This record gives sequence, structure tokens and C-alpha cells, in this order.
Amino acid sequence: MLEHLKAGEKAIIKDISAVNKLVKRRLLDFGITEGTEICMKCKMPFGGPFMLECYGQCVGIRRSDASDIKVERI
Amino acid sequence: MEIALLGNPNTGKTSLFNNLTGSYEYVGNWSGVTVEKKVGILKNSGARLIDLPGVYSLNPLSRDEGVVTQFLLTNEFDKMVNIVDASQLERNLHLTLQLIELGKPLIIGLNMIDVAQKRGIRINLEKLSERLGVSVAPVIARSGKGCDYLARLVTAEEKIPASTIPVDYGPEIEKSIRELEQMLAGYGQHSVRWLTIQLFEGNPYVKEHLLDYISSDQLDRFIEKTRCAVSQAHPGIKSLEQFIFKKRQAAIARLLEEATEKSEETGPPLSERIDQIVTNKWMGIPIFLLFMYLLFMLTFDWLGFPLSDALDAFISGPFTSGLEKVLIFVGAGEFIQSLILDGIVAGVGGVLVFVPQIFILFFFISLLEDSGYMARVALVMDRLMEGVGLNGKAFIPMVIGFGCNVPGIMAARTIETPRERLLTVLLTPLMSCSARLPVYALFVGAFFLHHKALIVLSIYVLGIVVALILAKIFSKTILKGETSLFVIELPPYRVPQLKTLTKSTWEKGKGFIKKAGTFIFAGSVFIWLLSNAGPGGLNVAMNESYLAMIGGIFAPLLEPLGFGNWQAGAALLTGFLAKEAVISTMNIIYFVPDEASLQGLLSNAFTPLAAYSFMVFILLYIPCLATVATIKKETSSYKWTIFASVYALGIAYLLSFLIYQGGKLLGLG
Repeated sequence: MLEHLKAGEKAIIKDISAVNKLVKRRLLDFGITEGTEICMKCKMPFGGPFMLECYGQCVGIRRSDASDIKVERI
Repeated sequence: MEIALLGNPNTGKTSLFNNLTGSYEYVGNWSGVTVEKKVGILKNSGARLIDLPGVYSLNPLSRDEGVVTQFLLTNEFDKMVNIVDASQLERNLHLTLQLIELGKPLIIGLNMIDVAQKRGIRINLEKLSERLGVSVAPVIARSGKGCDYLARLVTAEEKIPASTIPVDYGPEIEKSIRELEQMLAGYGQHSVRWLTIQLFEGNPYVKEHLLDYISSDQLDRFIEKTRCAVSQAHPGIKSLEQFIFKKRQAAIARLLEEATEKSEETGPPLSERIDQIVTNKWMGIPIFLLFMYLLFMLTFDWLGFPLSDALDAFISGPFTSGLEKVLIFVGAGEFIQSLILDGIVAGVGGVLVFVPQIFILFFFISLLEDSGYMARVALVMDRLMEGVGLNGKAFIPMVIGFGCNVPGIMAARTIETPRERLLTVLLTPLMSCSARLPVYALFVGAFFLHHKALIVLSIYVLGIVVALILAKIFSKTILKGETSLFVIELPPYRVPQLKTLTKSTWEKGKGFIKKAGTFIFAGSVFIWLLSNAGPGGLNVAMNESYLAMIGGIFAPLLEPLGFGNWQAGAALLTGFLAKEAVISTMNIIYFVPDEASLQGLLSNAFTPLAAYSFMVFILLYIPCLATVATIKKETSSYKWTIFASVYALGIAYLLSFLIYQGGKLLGLG
């Protein structure tokens, strides 16, 4: 799961189908879908959002959405 | 000739628009600065250029994105300019391919090549242009480099060939495109290829458009049939939307392989190193608060206050006495003299002295917008906002609302879910806008000389706290349901350019000066007349005037709040038209030409506690006329517009009451 990545770790997205439909669409707009390589940049405290990097762009998503994304560490 | 300007969010469309048309529209470094279409005239040719909000795809999720699809479907235009961010080519080309499918002449303006180079990406422009079948012009939108060439390309008389078919979606979809062509026999408006693909992607605007020609049942059957055919031929494909995306992605990957070269990156970019600090786990919120604290100290204490004082001294001193001499010299009557000196100079001048403070505030807001920090603030604040049923993006309209509530409310368009958007629209007026700033500046100068910035900061914070509490209450009661959504793009930092900053500060502040010269000017004349005329005729004592009568109606109601005099009542009434009018009205009523003597008089009419209660009331009591009109426009509902005004009045009364009565009990009165 994406939420278990530590800051600085990289992973490839394996399954994104469990994510909320609107969030999925928006992630797709950024090019984030199955097979995308992402890097966990930062986790905000108190259950706050995550900052991810992919293709050289930074994207913020919520922890609850991240917990629906299956990834594989590389 | 009509030219539409399209592209991903935050790729520099508006910067380019400003460069090409010589006009000035609002620019910033976050996604969603432009939420409406803007029209400008090209400098060299007179063609009309239409700036549209940024979109990632033509299938919209939020209201500002809908503006684009709606435009493409319903407006006539001749050419399109697609601004593409060279450092994010892959993502940007998804939109480009959709635009090519639309079948209208297209020109690509390739922006941020320098950023791409830093990231180790080299782009072969000829190859890109050849493979897409579209002219590509390199530009640097921020500095304007390459804009002339682009403008020449765009306005060139020769017809730009509508390009070839960029993506082959496979036999099933291609067959469906031909089928829809048959269903739409005789229809000549848009490219059927484009309509079919958008329909399959679930674009609601395109579906709505097609319903004029094809029945809803038939359309649904058509979509379902294609979906079955596609999923039979390609096991593992769950939806048409996903299939189309993959096809497009594959086409882009092939294209990029030919047209770009990638070399090794050179260390982590500066942007990431800054991010390690400002979006740091623990330091994020404290850094934001520190930024706000500096803003307030500079605006109200260190820099703004002495400047305003100096301006006040000038207007009330040399300027007024000079004007008086001129009036006597030209032989103006006593009535005219009084109207000009006690009415106009007092009313308009009283507002203008706060120009330095307002410009400092706007400068900081521009800095926040231009640097790329804005989106980070949204990220840092999301956890807090989630707790009250909003998301971090709602914080952006609120920060903009500190400048003026009207663009703040417009900025709420980028929020995807209707519930959160409405909530943000309703709560943004609680953000203390720059027009309320003069009222605070006047009162803290009179009552809280040693804690000026702190007292004003407390008012601003109160606005935010009340907004958050109400967000929680509203989302638990009248605006329940719907999951909240938060995905945000964090743009790379850019060193703000002084030119852009000054321009953007001036454009925001200009409105304030203009309002002083028009609205406040006319208002001052009107108020002066009301304060001089009464049932007893002209030139009556102020307490016998119409103004005193009108203000007096409200006085008993305001008594429990600590300012039960007709002067406060009258000032609050005019404050609905524009918040600065409160100051003009008081200047005229108390019959003083300048800020310093008004502060002296105020300390007789108000106690410090009553003054604080008055400031809180001004903060919350009602959105100004322009804001109410904007709420009506954005919600298209009288119910919510009335609600936004009424709840604010209720909260203001309640809080001022608690502060004044509570303070008295504590012995502060």
C-alpha cells in the first residue's frame, strides 16, 4: 500500500481501482495510473496528506486515498 | 479572427495572453488562476484572443474546466493555440491530442523549454511538429521571448491545414465513430471523431450536446455496445475511458521516443530543497504563521502605519489648506466650500490615506501567488480543513479573500465537489478584505496604539476561526453528504520577478484607488448632503439631519454591542455598499478633515472594549454589495445569497454582544 512507503522511497503503482472515482480521474490527469513510478516525498503530520513525485511533478493526495492504492517498492 | 488559447493549468497561458495582447490579466503560480474566459485583442493584427481556464483534458471535473468544454461546443472560433509545458510533455500532450481530434487549425506554443533542459530533456521541435502535423513555436511566456514569432504564425493568412488523425483507437472504436457519423447524418458542427471519443470518455457536456440529435436510450445503447465490443477484444479493460487513455498514452510514448532525448538529471532541483523546509512535517504550519505575522507587522506597524500617517499629514495639512485658499480665491460659496472640504476631501481623503497599507498587503498576496507557495499552503492546511468538512484547496479562495472577497469567491470554482464549493463561497466573505483594513487601522490607531499589529491579527484570525467553526456546523447540518476530494498539483517554485510583482500589486490596488475616486466620491457627496439636510431644511445641525434620523433607527439595536449611537448606525449602513465607506461616513459625521483628529473624537464616543466590539462587527456583519452580487452569480440561487448575508449578520451580532457584555463583566469596559 502506498501509505506504508517511507519518505524518499520509490514504488510502482500496481492497482488503483479501489480509489474514489473522482480522485482516480484527477490522478489520471497527472498521468498517475497503473504502472506509474512514484516517489514518496513527504508525509504531513496528524494524518495529513502526502506529497508524491512522478515524472518530475509534485502532487498532493490524502492519506485515505493513498491507502487504497496498491504499490510495489523498488 | 477568433483565436482560443488552451492548455494545462499553470503552463503560462495568461502570461502569454498578457504578452500578446498588451493587456493585464491576473497571473500566478498555481493551478486555477484563470477561472473564466477572458478576451483580448492581439497587438499587431486586431484578432481576438480568448484566454480559457487551464484543463488537463476536455472531459471536465470542476466548474472552471467546464467553461472550456462549453466554449468549444458553443462558440465560433477560427484557430486554437495550445500552450504546452515542455517539462511535462507527456501529460500535456493528452490535451493536445484531444484538441487535434477537434479538427480545427492548431498551433502549439512550447513553453518552459529551459525548465525541461534543466531536467535533462531535449526536444526536437521539427520532429514533434512533423509527427503531430502541427506548427510548433518555442516561447518563454514569462519574459515574452518568442511571442512575436508565435503571433505571426497565428495570424498568418495562409490556412493552417487541419492536422491528420493522431491516434488509432483500434477497429472497435473506429467502427463506432463511423456509426455515430451515420446517426448524425446532416450534422455539420463538430468533428464526429472528437464527439465519439469524448462521449466514450464520459464527457457530460458532449453527451448533453448529442442529446439534441439522438435520444438518450439510443445513445446509452450505443455506448454499451462499444464497451462490450472493446472488452471482448481486450480482456482486462474495465472501461472505455481507461481504454482510450491507454491508447493515447501509447501514442504519446511512441511520439516522445522519436522527438525527445533524455540525459541524466543534475542533482535535486532547488524546488525540492525548498520543499524540504516549507512543507516540512513539523515546520509547515509554523512557517506559514510566521509569514502571516511578518505580513501584519509590515502592513500595520513597521512600514504601513508610518507611511499612512505621513500621507494623512499631507492631505489634512498642506493639501487641505491649499485647496481652501484656491476655493476662496475663485470665490466659491460657503456651501461649495463645505461640500468640498468637509464632504469630499474628508470622505475620499479619509480612505486614500490607507493606500500604502493596502498596497503592502497586496504585495504580499502577490508574492504568495507568484512564488508557488500557495499550493503548498493548501497542502499544509488540508488536514485542518478536512476536519471541518472542507479540503485544503478551499484555503486558496480564503487567502485571496484577504485582498478582496470577489476574486476569492470566484477562485472557489476550482473546487471539484459542489458541496465544498458552495461552502467555500458562503464562508469566504468572513475573510477580512482590504476594504475593511482602513476601519481597523483607524480604530487601533485610536485605542490600541501599543499593540496595533497584534489586535488586527486577532481580528483576521477571528475571521478564519469563525469560518472554520461554521464550516463544521454547516457540513453537519444543512450541507451534509458527498465525499470530499483533494488532489492538488504542486508547481515548482519560481523566483518572483519584480516586474510581475509590482504589476500584479498595482492591478489589485488600482481597484481600491478607482473605487475611492468614483463610488466613495459619490457616496461622500451623498452622505454630506444627508448630514446637512433635515426636516428643518438645509444647513441644519448634524443631530437634526436625515442621516441622524436614519442612523438613529439602528442605534437602540446596537446599544447592547457597545456602540448605540446614530453615527455608528449610519456608518454601518453605508458600509454595506463598500466597507471603506464606513471611514468616509465617520470622517464626515465627526466633521474632521483628517485621521488624527477623528481618532481623538472617537475616543470620546467609544470605549476600547466597544471599539473592539465594533471592529468584530465590521469584520463579520454583511458581505459588501459587490460580494453579494458575486455570490448570487456563483451560486445562481437567491436562497443561498440571502442565507450568506443573513447568517453573517446573526453571527456578527452574537459575537459582538458576547465580546462587549462579556468584557464588561470582566471589568474591561
